[in-house]
Amino acid sequence: MSKSLEFLTEALRRLPGVGPKSAQRMAFHLLQHDREGADMLSRALHQAVSAVHHCALCNTFTEEDVCDTCNDEQRDRRLLCVVETPADQLMIEQTLTYKGLYFVLMGRLSPLDGIGPKDIHLEKLVARAADGLVTEVVLATNFTNEGEATAHYISEMLKARGIAVSRLARGVPVGGELEYVDPGTLAQALQDRRDT
Amino acid sequence: MDLAEANNLEAAGMAGPPAKSRAPARRHEHQRGYVLHTYPYSETSLIVETYTREHGRVPMVAKGAKRPGSALRGALMQFQPVAFSWSGKNDLRSLTQAEWIGGLPGLAGDALFCGFYLNELLLKLLARDDAHERLFDCYEAALLALGGGGEEAGVLRGFERELLREIGYALNLTHEADSSIAIVAEGRYVYHPERGARRLEAREHPDFEISGRTLLELDTGVYSTPQTAMQAKLLMRLLLNHQLNGRALATRQIFTELQQL
Ligand SMILES: [Zn+2]
Repeated sequence: MSKSLEFLTEALRRLPGVGPKSAQRMAFHLLQHDREGADMLSRALHQAVSAVHHCALCNTFTEEDVCDTCNDEQRDRRLLCVVETPADQLMIEQTLTYKGLYFVLMGRLSPLDGIGPKDIHLEKLVARAADGLVTEVVLATNFTNEGEATAHYISEMLKARGIAVSRLARGVPVGGELEYVDPGTLAQALQDRRDT
Repeated sequence: MDLAEANNLEAAGMAGPPAKSRAPARRHEHQRGYVLHTYPYSETSLIVETYTREHGRVPMVAKGAKRPGSALRGALMQFQPVAFSWSGKNDLRSLTQAEWIGGLPGLAGDALFCGFYLNELLLKLLARDDAHERLFDCYEAALLALGGGGEEAGVLRGFERELLREIGYALNLTHEADSSIAIVAEGRYVYHPERGARRLEAREHPDFEISGRTLLELDTGVYSTPQTAMQAKLLMRLLLNHQLNGRALATRQIFTELQQL
């Protein structure tokens, strides 16, 4: 195989879920049937890599130093909501009930996958939460074991620095009839029951 | 199997010739077990590494588990007992049903991290499709103890010891290697991973020596001092590393990184 072709195949294998055989198929396809597409891909990648980086404040992807959300004067600067991904942030935005700011981890602790504190920008989060304006950090990581582990460590870190931390509540979904709620969720709702 | 799935199988290093049928090609229904780990398989499917009481470690594909609202997702959580049903005989069985059984308190905080550690040990040291019922019961008891606020170090040491025993490396903590001489609390020993304890001469000072007291306390699982508990931890680490044969434990590494924050 030519050197350049080998290089391209190696590069394509960087994509998640792509093994050697499929990388080779993709390379052959691009060079034989879609040279225009190959050119487009190369330009788009180059442009994105040089223009897109992490927001200095919330860590999400942006082409500016600070993203539009963080720059929004209308937002409550005392609240900082921690989410795993930009998609999670979008979901919280859609509730129209949260007016604070965000920090996007771009992942979660996943010990068995080797994903640790360095991979989810915990030091940057601590610095962000200690800006003197934030009075409460809302942990909105997922309710998986990995999300819970992430929330636990963030909470310990922030509390040790005197920052108040809360965790998203969990329980029966809106409109949920107990008969049809899955038992795991119901068990959690019982455990997290509150006074009325 | 669609193309994307084949690609992911390939990327996960699991491709290769079709498995020669080791396990019989029949359906298994409502087998008690746990999810050890899951990872993405295709756009909508997961590979689920399970540990079942009667069939040991069984890898399965959970089709559609990544779709929004999938009924499987809530059931495929680690550290909660699940009734698994599956079919197939290849390297990857097809998960047909996973039902939440419940009854365990669930893990939180540091105990949750201990749970990840137990799962990684099982994934790295236990062969597939070998039933280890006694170890399974020990795993379940460990989860129960961790969830109930049990003392973590003691729970981990007990499980590590049982795991080594199940894979053929039972520890001899009461007698010197190849002899009937009892270990004495005041003695100084060196522990060889495959042979056992040997008493040290006064002039010998190996890198890692262990007190007779530690060996005896590791045997009973009750530690009288932080020193013996720490020595027991280091000894188990040495023995596990020997079995891991150079493979690192990701959970151990990440736990260390978190302690430094
Ligand atoms: Zn921002």
